[in-house]
Amino acid sequence: MFWDGFLVTASVSALSIVGSFLIGVIVAFGAVSRRPFLRKAARGYIGLFRNIPFIVQVFFFYFGLPEIGVYIDAFTTGTMALSIAVGAYAADVLRSGIENVDTGVIEAAEVSGLSRFKIYRRIILPIALRVSLRPLGSVFINLVLTTSILSTITLNELTGNAKIVASDTFRPFEVYFFLLLFYCVLTYLLSLLINLWHRRLNRFMRGAE
Amino acid sequence: MIEIDNLHKKFGDTEVLKGVSLSIAPGEVVSILGASGSGKSTLMRCMNGLAGLNGGSLLIDGLDVSKPRELREIRKRCATVFQHFNLYPHLSVLDNITLAPMDVLGRKKAEVEAEAYALLKQVGLADRADAYPGQLSGGQKQRIGICRALAMQPRYLLLDEVTSALDPEMTGEVLDVLAALARSGTTMIFVTHEIAFAREISSRIVFLDDGVVRADMPTDRFFAEDGGYGDERIARFLAKMRNK
Ligand SMILES: Nc1ncnc2c1ncn2[C@@H]1O[C@H](COP(=O)(O)OP(=O)(O)O)[C@@H](O)[C@H]1O
Ligand SMILES: [Mg+2]
Repeated sequence: MFWDGFLVTASVSALSIVGSFLIGVIVAFGAVSRRPFLRKAARGYIGLFRNIPFIVQVFFFYFGLPEIGVYIDAFTTGTMALSIAVGAYAADVLRSGIENVDTGVIEAAEVSGLSRFKIYRRIILPIALRVSLRPLGSVFINLVLTTSILSTITLNELTGNAKIVASDTFRPFEVYFFLLLFYCVLTYLLSLLINLWHRRLNRFMRGAE
Repeated sequence: MIEIDNLHKKFGDTEVLKGVSLSIAPGEVVSILGASGSGKSTLMRCMNGLAGLNGGSLLIDGLDVSKPRELREIRKRCATVFQHFNLYPHLSVLDNITLAPMDVLGRKKAEVEAEAYALLKQVGLADRADAYPGQLSGGQKQRIGICRALAMQPRYLLLDEVTSALDPEMTGEVLDVLAALARSGTTMIFVTHEIAFAREISSRIVFLDDGVVRADMPTDRFFAEDGGYGDERIARFLAKMRNK
């Protein structure tokens, strides 16, 4: 029972991390684009989705959309809503990472003849990622915690399951205490992993110019 | 052949290059001297397309830098070494060197790597291929910067104050590499404050003064009393550099 909940939480988290990362990359490059339209659209996206409570976004997708004939199941809705909302946070973190990449390094890539796309893909993004990894990690940890909100749209992930177990067993203290511990351990492990990864990626980065 | 004709460049309202004309033939080693702020870097940035032109023309092998398609071709022939190295910090020395030759020139990995190792050997860094820029000293980084430029097998090599960011004891190791290059027949356009070195390696000196070419003559004449040295502003510049 608990294991089922964990699997749901884990798969929603993993899918949304991938989804929000992809959205984040695209929107971040939009936000630093030279084209005013792209810039405005991307910055608008970031501003918009960071300024609406997540639970309201989820309710809109899950309870609002069916009204106009769009039905999506809870799992898909949750994954989509998380990707879209967290994508805005990821984009903002990546944007600042991209803006901090040494312009001299970018110019070196430019004069070597690399195409704009290759410069983004091979130079700017990897450097920005190294810088942004830690804040991006916090964003993704928050994402994992936010999956608990999906219990409100009938998705039986960890928290939803715990609710059921608590009411079946009449032992809310033990059940929720265990749940609390579990989230703690999970996010702690995640942050450890991110730190290790960050250190590994950045071991040679200092003083490189 | 680099042909610069009546080149103008403005930043906002201030004109930095005020009608520069200059031509450089293949095989020449030309040093560009001038006080700081005279527009040397800007001229170099116009040549590799990092700065756009506001007037005049700049052709390299007949290709126009202000046309994006032709600029792409120019960048295959014209490599730049930077004052602050600008190595890719996340890539190993070897990858720094091989990235553009493989990607831009579409050459084979094995071939490019073999060449990269040969270049590293030439600059005395054969054992650092797997190092990252952050692990190298300034002098080593700049030698890698030179290798990265040379790996493109450029016809023209642009060098803008490539030793200015180095400690004095590391300047020599980089200048040695450049001297060998100059002898090898690579076309070099060399902005520098190392006057003695410029005198030693270049066939021609261009003196920029406040956005115009004040002197453009063979090295011997530039340093002669009745040549460039006879010009009062040039004499003052040289005296100032010597006293540094
Ligand atoms: N991107 C820029 N924006 C505004 N002014 C600039 C810029 N680049 C250079 N300048 C100005 O142009 C002048 C010439 O600069 P530069 O070409 O770097 O000279 P040099 O390399 O000879 O020292 C200086 O006054 C400098 O302040
Ligand atoms: Mg300069």
